[in-house]
Amino acid sequence: MSNYSKTGLKRFIGTMLILSLLMGMMISLMPLEASAEVKTFTVGFDAEFPPYGYRAENGEYVGFDLDLAQEVCKRNGWTLNKKPINWDSKDMELESGAIDCIWNGFTIDGREDKYTWSTPYIDNSQVVIVKKESAINKLNDLKGKNVVVQADSSALAAFKGEDATDENKALAGSFASLQQVQDYNTAFLNLESGMADAVCMDIGVANYQIQSRGDAFRMLDEKVSSEKYGIGFKLGNKELRNKVQETLLAMKADGTFDTIAEKWGLETSVCLDPDDKYIDKDETPVLPGQSGNGIDWGAMLAQLGEGMGRSILIFVLTLLFSMPLGLLVAFVRMSRFKPLQWIARIYISIMRGTPLMLQLLVVCFGPYYLFHITLTENYRFIALIIGFSVNYAAYFAEIYRAGIQAVPVGQREAASILGYSGGQTFRKIIFPQMVKNVLPPVTNEIITLVKDTSLAYVLTYLELFSMAKQLSAAATSLVPLFVAGLFYYIFNFIVAFVMELIEKKFNYYK
Amino acid sequence: MAELEKSKNEASSERLLEINNLSKSFDGRKVLEDISLTVEKGEVISIIGPSGSGKTTLLRCATFLETMDDGELSYCGKKVVTSRNGKAVYPSKAEMKEAKSKFSLVFQNFNLFPHFNVLKNVSDAAVSVMKRNKEEVLEESRQILKKVGLEEKLKAYPCELSGGQQQRVAIARALVMNPEILYFDEPTSALDPEITAGILRIMKELAEEKMTMVIVTHEIDFARAVSDRVIFMDGGYIIEQGAPKDVIDNPSNERTKTFLRKLSSL
Repeated sequence: MSNYSKTGLKRFIGTMLILSLLMGMMISLMPLEASAEVKTFTVGFDAEFPPYGYRAENGEYVGFDLDLAQEVCKRNGWTLNKKPINWDSKDMELESGAIDCIWNGFTIDGREDKYTWSTPYIDNSQVVIVKKESAINKLNDLKGKNVVVQADSSALAAFKGEDATDENKALAGSFASLQQVQDYNTAFLNLESGMADAVCMDIGVANYQIQSRGDAFRMLDEKVSSEKYGIGFKLGNKELRNKVQETLLAMKADGTFDTIAEKWGLETSVCLDPDDKYIDKDETPVLPGQSGNGIDWGAMLAQLGEGMGRSILIFVLTLLFSMPLGLLVAFVRMSRFKPLQWIARIYISIMRGTPLMLQLLVVCFGPYYLFHITLTENYRFIALIIGFSVNYAAYFAEIYRAGIQAVPVGQREAASILGYSGGQTFRKIIFPQMVKNVLPPVTNEIITLVKDTSLAYVLTYLELFSMAKQLSAAATSLVPLFVAGLFYYIFNFIVAFVMELIEKKFNYYK
Repeated sequence: MAELEKSKNEASSERLLEINNLSKSFDGRKVLEDISLTVEKGEVISIIGPSGSGKTTLLRCATFLETMDDGELSYCGKKVVTSRNGKAVYPSKAEMKEAKSKFSLVFQNFNLFPHFNVLKNVSDAAVSVMKRNKEEVLEESRQILKKVGLEEKLKAYPCELSGGQQQRVAIARALVMNPEILYFDEPTSALDPEITAGILRIMKELAEEKMTMVIVTHEIDFARAVSDRVIFMDGGYIIEQGAPKDVIDNPSNERTKTFLRKLSSL
């Protein structure tokens, strides 16, 4: 009996040991539940917005706002997650909970209803930057000029937003164009190369840019608008907002805030004041439609249609130029004269070996930076077509070459025996057979081109995809992107259908 | 002189092709060595020999599909390729085109243009190279196609035809060009035996019409039946040539004997 109870006890202890081990493993496998106290604070920011948030040369994300966020996290025992976001998609990021707040030189003015705001901590103003030697001295001189702003930026809002003053609206109306670019670097590329006459941006950014780019630029004394920065939280997320706000005020009180501001040269802009009240208007969330953010289907489709037209224009012109150019390149590539052959080889190698996006930038801005040719606004579209055509010609050249080499050597021999000249042999015998050979790979290239037209956004050309992204950001909705996707799909469906018809036409022989 | 006696119309004897001291090598490997050959008007010549003996290369050199390394070549008494300092020199494009108008070649693999129908395959070169009247060429093409038994297939594409039919189109295409010499490069090697007979019959008819032909072939019986002269090649040399009864039935050279014995033992 005692023997039995002893072994029973051993079994019991053993079972308990195994159970506790299993439980320990289960607990360690559930860190999200177990370590709920260690909160992650995810800050969304535009990584190309110095000095507030940007990518340093060592690859780390740094900036004034990120330093503030780091300090806030430290004081609350949170882990900071720096999340660079696409500025056009910031609302989707916030809505979906992928980020906790937008903390990035984020202008409150005009966006009061869209976010739950901290009190303003930086006073910023929209200013105009021109080239030093420019004849533009006051805002009115901007009449008939090309002005650049960042897409969905406060500068854009100051000119065209719902709360823009009538004066600014009239001013914007007098511009030759108001271009939207993805980032400030592109804005300055445009300004430097002469494709734009002025850039409008936040004063803090402007000071930083002028400082770091030397004295080739200057700021107009007259300001477009005066505005304030805050931290934007998801509408209604007051709990988190209050926590961050309290921490910020504590940092302000002990001087940490000002030290950080000085580090980034923003001490003159600081406006954080313990007496400021939150601008929360009421407790009821803004209903769709009331905010003016509801989707106006007619207007959206009209604008997407416009973007689609531009995409198709790129598509058609690129094919028109690249397909014959590709044939020329294929000839040079197959030349028996070695140096020529090598030129074609190198050309194809570069075109296929580097990103099309980079090539577009080089074609557009290269003439200015390499040869100091001042460019005009019209050149932007020309550069786009040159860039696309030259790139696609390289791919077509290789496809044609394969198609020509796939024609049996006996065809050339028969043509030679019959006395056809070289030109006749190519035109009557080789070319028609090549066309049949290359149809499937050419179809592939054409379909890729339809989608590649979206790369035109790097040159600030508002084709379908850029248009959809901007509409999507403005309406805080994915619908424009879905509609754009549908457009692309239908367009490619038609392309594939037409190419199949052409292939069938060539099926009369094998 | 022996060849001339065999020619049935000596009176109008005319030298269509003359090759002297032709040599050709591929990557340093000698394929043809010191070949000399003449073809008189109306002659039918068969070239036989084991594979790799250089007979096809000889035909390709004569039709300019290969460039010879050294040697001389004349068509109809007119020098085309000349030898200078041990190297063959080719003339201008215009002279080449003129020389090419003297002959045509029927390939082993037909090499019809797949995207042209039968009538266009046969007629196109005469219209676009010889610049002849299109209606005239089409009429002549139809007649020649009728002669080779393809009057029903004018609109067909090569892929719709059997091998034998394709080879007939190829022969018709060569005939429309009205060549002085018609070369055949193993015209029946890609065909089934039962189809071969039809092609050989057409060639025999051509021989009877006094068409000058040079035929690279493995059909020994056919060579014996139609040829005025048989040439046996081996290892890049012409080993033996003469009347079929001499070369085929009573060869004097040991290599010729070995080759023929191997063929008959098959």
